[in-house]
Amino acid sequence: MILKRRLFWMVAILIAVAAIVIPLVSSNYMLRVVNITMITYICVLSMFIVFGMAGQISFAQAGFWGVGAYITAILTVKLQLSPVIAIFASVLGTGLIAAILGLALFRLHGHYFGFSTIGVVMILNGLFQNWKPVTGGADGIGGIPAFGIGSWEFTSEMNNFHLILVIVVAVSIITYIVQRSALGRSFMAIRDNEIAAKCMGVNSYKTKIIAFTLAAMYCGIAGSLFAFLTSYISATTFTFPQSALYLVMLMLGGYNTLAGPVVGTLLLMLLPEWFRFLQEYILLIYGLGVMVLMVVMPDGLIGGGKKAYESIRKRGWAKQPSNDIG
Amino acid sequence: MNLSAKEAGQSSPVMILDKLCKRFGGVVAADEISFTLASGQIHGLIGPNGSGKSTALNLISGVTDMDSGNVILDGETITKEASYMRARLGIARTFQHPRLLKRCDVRTNLFLGSDLANMKKHSSPFTLEQLMEAAGLRLDLGDSITTMSYGQQKLFEIVRALLTNPKVVLLDEPAAGLNTKEMERVEALINIAVKNNAAVLLVEHSMDLVMNLCHVITVLNFGRPIAEGIPEEILSNEAVIEAYLGRGRSA
Repeated sequence: MILKRRLFWMVAILIAVAAIVIPLVSSNYMLRVVNITMITYICVLSMFIVFGMAGQISFAQAGFWGVGAYITAILTVKLQLSPVIAIFASVLGTGLIAAILGLALFRLHGHYFGFSTIGVVMILNGLFQNWKPVTGGADGIGGIPAFGIGSWEFTSEMNNFHLILVIVVAVSIITYIVQRSALGRSFMAIRDNEIAAKCMGVNSYKTKIIAFTLAAMYCGIAGSLFAFLTSYISATTFTFPQSALYLVMLMLGGYNTLAGPVVGTLLLMLLPEWFRFLQEYILLIYGLGVMVLMVVMPDGLIGGGKKAYESIRKRGWAKQPSNDIG
Repeated sequence: MNLSAKEAGQSSPVMILDKLCKRFGGVVAADEISFTLASGQIHGLIGPNGSGKSTALNLISGVTDMDSGNVILDGETITKEASYMRARLGIARTFQHPRLLKRCDVRTNLFLGSDLANMKKHSSPFTLEQLMEAAGLRLDLGDSITTMSYGQQKLFEIVRALLTNPKVVLLDEPAAGLNTKEMERVEALINIAVKNNAAVLLVEHSMDLVMNLCHVITVLNFGRPIAEGIPEEILSNEAVIEAYLGRGRSA
């Protein structure tokens, strides 16, 4: 308990320091990278819910991210609605679409479900690309206004940083609460043994749809924030490889704890910025890195780190120096 | 300890199985299986390998859909209910090979079922400590469950089932692969369930356990019930001996 409280304060202070320091030391460009990283983190958290907790592999997340972005773009640009309405509509609309898809797709199990979600992201992308009157087709939608409440507008990169950070913290807290709730335990029961879960009273069909819908709502809010931030969206962003990237980030960080998505997203989003001189080789390094990781640390960096720490402790390297001598 | 068959039939039936049938392709796994379970009674279900014992449990718990027949719990027909609903209505079960939530801690494994079953409405008369003591398990709620041996996992599953305060407990070969000490613990747990007035359906190959414990025994062969009665009757039943040992050459 004491350890947990200490961890809570450490995280809280870390976030507060980041909120103050990052805007001071970063250029506008770097701040944009940080903002996109945080938006990506929300999508990776959505992967954490649906795959990490409920054990259902889903490649539809980038598609839902797009749905959220397009709903916001259409409502603010074409219908001139307020950004606050748009952000709520994005969350609810994405959730609704996921719930309806879930009703049908969860007739399938395991890998078959996973394959069907590849179909979902491709269909959604096709829709963004070709439904010209609504989505603008290949031209996309531009001129999306910045987020604002009344006359208070989030135009600058720094304003957006604070907005997105608040939502990132809120979404993380929601995820933490879900993980410890009866609902979260039902998710994990389905992941570990679906038949046992059913015989323990879990309505697995309904619970999986809830997980899928909740995860899609995360993507909806991420998409909405993305649209406000970049003011221009087009279909080329919301693709299958993007979903695969979320999955890789989750696996890299580790899908057992909430710290996994944080570490995975930070590494894969920020490292390329620092290793820019490796440009042509970066994908090669990614690929090799993921392969090595899966062999050496199947539980991701957080899981692997924990194991390493425990084995070190067992061997006594981390022991307090004893007072036996002298 | 053993009630006579007649006496057992008179104690209140909590579950009635009415002509359960199930085919897998050309194989008849359950062929008009009918019997009743009474509260506070241990009902043995035995038979040679492949005689449909596990299929019967799957049909009762709803893991497998039946082709025809009815399952009646407390006077209500629950044939159409999904497995999770049956669990919530008070049917708890264990599996031949333990099905635990491997990446979850002890707390999640134990309480998921009792959270969702009607635990809150009628509180369990025995505590977790009592059950864990009877099972000989020493675990903290925060522990990972991967450290348990096979026998401990099987005992743990029974504890998990009993924690939901079930009306009917289905045990699928709880003693298979267990040592003597662990088998005694299985017995202790079953006795706790009986004391709590649950109906126990015990599928088991260990004849010692079945003959010692069960009030009534049903024998299956090729998916069909061939005998029912108290242990003494079953032991001397011609059809049962034939099913287990084959037809004797006429002397």
